[in-house]
Amino acid sequence: MGFAFSVFSVLSVADTDPMNPRDPKLSAAGLLVVGKDVPRTDAIPKVTGAAQYVADLRLPRMLHAAVLRSPHPHARIVSIDTRAAEAMPGVKAVVTGADTARRKWGAFRPDLYPLAIEKVRYVGDEVAAVAAVDPETARAAVDKIVVEYQVLPAALSLDQALAPGAPLVHEDAPGNVAHHFNFERGDVDAGFKASDVVVEGTWESARQWHTALETIGCVAQWTNGRVTMWCNTQTAYLARGRYATALGLPESRVRVIQTEVGGGFGGKSGDDNASVICAILARKSGRPVRLIHTREEEFIASHPRMPMRYWVRLGFSREGLVRAKEIKMWADNGAYTGKSQAILGAATVRHDALYKYPVVRADSTLVYTNLVPTGAFRGFGNPSADWAVEQAWDLAAEKLGIDVLDLLRMNAVEPGGVSPHNHKITSCELKQCIDKAAGLIRWREKRRERKPGRGLGMGCSIHVNGRRSFGDWDGSSAIVRVNEDGRATIITGEGEIGQGNLTVLRQIAAEELGFPYEDVDITRPDTDVQPHALGALASRLTYIAGNAVKRAAAAAATQLLEAAARQFGRPASELAIIHGQIGPRRGSETEFKPVAQVVRADIYQRDGQPIVGVGAFDNPSDFPDHSRYGNESGAYNFVAQAAEVDVDRSTGQVSLLEIASVVDCGTVIHPAAAEGQVQGAVTQGIGLAMYEYFDWYNGVPTDPQLKDYPIPGAAMMPKLHVAFADSYEPSGPYGAKGLGEIGLDAVPAAIANAIADAVGVRIHELPITAEKIHRALHPGLYAAEKPVPPAAPKGGFWSRFSTGRPSGARPAPAELVFATSVEEAVSLLAAGDTALVAGGMSHALRRERTGYAQAKRLVSIQRIPELNEFTMDARGTLRAGAAVRQQAFYENERVKKSWRAIDDAMEAVGHTRIRRMLTVGGSVGPLIGGFDLPLAALALNARVTVAGPKGRRTTTLEQLFQARLSKDEMVVAIEVDPLPPRSGSSFYKYMPRGLEIPVVNTAARVTLNADGTCAAARVAVGAVSWKPILLDLRELGGKRLGEDMLRATVQNVRTLAEPMADVRGSVAYKREMAVEFAYRALDTAWRRAARPGNA
Amino acid sequence: MRVKFKLNGDPVEVNLRSGDRLLVDVLREDLELTGTKHGCGIGACGTCTVIMDGYPIASCMQLAALCEGAEIRTVEGLAGAASLHPVQQAFVDKSALQCGICIPGHVMAACALIERSPDPSDEEIRASLDSVYCRCTGYARIEQAYREAIAAVRKARNS
Repeated sequence: MGFAFSVFSVLSVADTDPMNPRDPKLSAAGLLVVGKDVPRTDAIPKVTGAAQYVADLRLPRMLHAAVLRSPHPHARIVSIDTRAAEAMPGVKAVVTGADTARRKWGAFRPDLYPLAIEKVRYVGDEVAAVAAVDPETARAAVDKIVVEYQVLPAALSLDQALAPGAPLVHEDAPGNVAHHFNFERGDVDAGFKASDVVVEGTWESARQWHTALETIGCVAQWTNGRVTMWCNTQTAYLARGRYATALGLPESRVRVIQTEVGGGFGGKSGDDNASVICAILARKSGRPVRLIHTREEEFIASHPRMPMRYWVRLGFSREGLVRAKEIKMWADNGAYTGKSQAILGAATVRHDALYKYPVVRADSTLVYTNLVPTGAFRGFGNPSADWAVEQAWDLAAEKLGIDVLDLLRMNAVEPGGVSPHNHKITSCELKQCIDKAAGLIRWREKRRERKPGRGLGMGCSIHVNGRRSFGDWDGSSAIVRVNEDGRATIITGEGEIGQGNLTVLRQIAAEELGFPYEDVDITRPDTDVQPHALGALASRLTYIAGNAVKRAAAAAATQLLEAAARQFGRPASELAIIHGQIGPRRGSETEFKPVAQVVRADIYQRDGQPIVGVGAFDNPSDFPDHSRYGNESGAYNFVAQAAEVDVDRSTGQVSLLEIASVVDCGTVIHPAAAEGQVQGAVTQGIGLAMYEYFDWYNGVPTDPQLKDYPIPGAAMMPKLHVAFADSYEPSGPYGAKGLGEIGLDAVPAAIANAIADAVGVRIHELPITAEKIHRALHPGLYAAEKPVPPAAPKGGFWSRFSTGRPSGARPAPAELVFATSVEEAVSLLAAGDTALVAGGMSHALRRERTGYAQAKRLVSIQRIPELNEFTMDARGTLRAGAAVRQQAFYENERVKKSWRAIDDAMEAVGHTRIRRMLTVGGSVGPLIGGFDLPLAALALNARVTVAGPKGRRTTTLEQLFQARLSKDEMVVAIEVDPLPPRSGSSFYKYMPRGLEIPVVNTAARVTLNADGTCAAARVAVGAVSWKPILLDLRELGGKRLGEDMLRATVQNVRTLAEPMADVRGSVAYKREMAVEFAYRALDTAWRRAARPGNA
Repeated sequence: MRVKFKLNGDPVEVNLRSGDRLLVDVLREDLELTGTKHGCGIGACGTCTVIMDGYPIASCMQLAALCEGAEIRTVEGLAGAASLHPVQQAFVDKSALQCGICIPGHVMAACALIERSPDPSDEEIRASLDSVYCRCTGYARIEQAYREAIAAVRKARNS
């Protein structure tokens, strides 16, 4: 206990440290560690695969969990029968709401049960869970739980939830209002009256999933009435508090240990039920349990970004000075609240500190719906606010006739500014950020020399560094211990989630101690060990944890110098620690002793004391009141972001050319990590803006998999410029502020502003899709469009989920047989319940995993010699067996020269991994026109050999598409003849989001006569009908081709196409794109035909 | 059923519970090589990329039973006892990682590319980079790591 008291006396010493004056080290000796790209703490474990993520943990006798979720958006649970699941061999525990403490939990408004009690409120709501000896058994048991539901009317949108008489999501929230607040600061009506120019509009933001490539998970184990939970949480302490509530335990009975975190972005900040259910299963089974979300569960039941409807009005003087701002906002909370109440607040007030608004008024409502609960996502409320307000500023610039860059600059907040909500601006280099971003993207030059279809846009944002939210403390505490070998250990509960804070905190401690960076170690969060900390959220770690660690290090340094003073026999004030050595401040090198020697001598003596410095730091901020008045954070960071786009008018597709982001985060402690934070945040902003959305049916995404929800891949990336403002925050450690989130905030608005600049189309609703732009550019093409009622998706996730087989587990192990001949494979197929596989996993098997019928027997055709043949005969005919991989086409020079359509298709597949996986049989056999190889082959008049019980037959691919394969038939080989002289072919895949099935794909082949007139032309159009559309364009025969003629000849594709509306686009848009790309394929094939050697 | 293959140079034999077991699960659960990560389960994200017979493959789309006789390499097979593989070293040097969950996939994709094509074109680099998602970095630093690794391998070859 005496030790604890001495710790606190040290704390008070640290508290007297001057925090505000410009740190003398900066100007004088310069910084030795801060500002350097030292090796990241986590680099080697991560590149070698040694880093331990939660799914990598395995405890003795550990069980595996699976969760049964609601298939209904709103229903009363009439009964749950778990007997059949419990009776299954290998099942060790089945739990329902009855096994829980029946306590609601949640960060701000406790409304979530660990497992449903009486009602379910969204598709994905947790109803029951199983722990079993292996994952397959757990999933199969989940499918045996019988739940009787009484389905209730549901509120599936903001409008439905707010309508009079709407079904109530929670009985205690009349009108489905989960939270509401409003304010008026100053006379807003007078502000608008005094305005010369007023702009207004409504903007809608979107749900965005964190899509960390590691899903949420937990391993839980009970010992002596305490539970240890290994979690991939961002916030170990906050998670502990909430999980304790949910489990009905005092905090200290819950120990949360943070594993490596494979991406958080707000999604792993302890608002979901996964860890709680894992702990409940572990308690009931008496064994350790591991629960890992599947990717699908991550999409239906993690807490994505909250979408908002945001109306904003801004008033300006003629000169461009902002006079007033008013907003009205409704946010779609989903079924449970989590942090969304705070997100609503941030989206309402934070932007008001970005520009010099004299008066502001707001009215904000958080609305319950029967949809997936929403939560914290990088940027918190900012991206939704910026999506609206930064576009309103762009509109204002247009109306005022002022370049938006100058308008933003003119109104930008400055150091010493105070917002209407008393946000006190300390360091602020927003104008510098705007200027630098404009310079990086060459704004002025490009605006002078405009190019058609090109446009520039800008957006700015402000973010907090921590936010006083969880009671009146937004602090961190840390211990720095100096060991007898001269190394220091930072003991902190603030964990790494990839952002680099282990490295940054080590840099700060090393700088403060005067140690080499390599001599400072750091622990990982374990709530039994470290002092209190809030974790990785609200861009708080560099600023708040950095200050706490700096104080702890300073305290340790003081103790170290005092120990040295006793040993050197001179006052501590005359001593210094330089690069891990202690000696007289002005002494020569030989007078210095290693720290190890001083520490060892200090501990190993009678009444020796370890060197243990403790530091704490609380954000110098205020706890805002109900109307959000109060200085949320001790410092604010800023960003200016500029985007350049190129818009294709005939598709609406936007090419992102460049994005420049300049951040004011004060001193940059680790330049590589800081740059990486901004690059990553921008990339997520691009995803939010353009790529990340689902198609929905009955309150759930129709196919909650990564293929329907592409996050930006490397090929989608524009040129990124990242720079930092020259800035210094007096209250930050070495002048630093946070920067984890801000790089995302203004990206969607900057892109939308650039699109408006390029083609005059203003997008009001996220995501920005090619279709929305195309519709705005060509309203006439859509004038006759008829509404298409939504239909239940066929097969897949939806059928699995709605037919009581939610997990899709295979009821019995599958048998795998290697066929040695085609005949053997055919006879095995004839026996039924069989799927063919070639090199990896067949198309059929992949479909099984999302809910289609499952085969008992798998037959590999990999070892059938003739199916592996890839030959070219004397005539030049290519023959490829069913087991040949598409990579073989890609690597073949003859294919490249002879059939450009196939080569284009192979390019369109994307990369080696996929081409190496796809086989001829797997891509041709399903007869799906949206697949690349079969469509290209169709345009080239390919033949297919098929084997069945009656023997073999060879038919054209065209006939096969008409007649289909029967269930007992298989593809043996595909054949493509060489094209005649003066021929050309081509293939297009229009896939603006990088999904695996395109909006449309097209292939064409043209042969010319010696006089240059058309001898034959054919075009195939896939993905817009059940069968590909194949047109032999006889009307072109003997004609001299031209662009207009080709365009005219494909117009009937519009009516031949029978597309389905889905996540790729509406019926009408798909028809338009089918025409456009049929033309492009034909045009390219014609041009190739006209040039020899381009078949 | 039993399957035998070569894993990071050593022969292994695994008894599969079912013919539909996937390579990623067999590597992680049966062989305790957890460096290979599970990302999406549908071959889209590339996080589970390993090298099979010289080519990058998605181990979440690879039936383990079909690996009979194959040569498979995972991230655990790259580093020697004393030093990292040049590709791993380049990722460390360029701070080309954040949360790290996709990094084994990126490292294996880069190795597969450089081994097959020691002087890859910009298009080849971009296609390989595009084959594995990263939710954290925005790819810029990973691209730098690719280029540094290519230069290091070239230098080692020439000396």
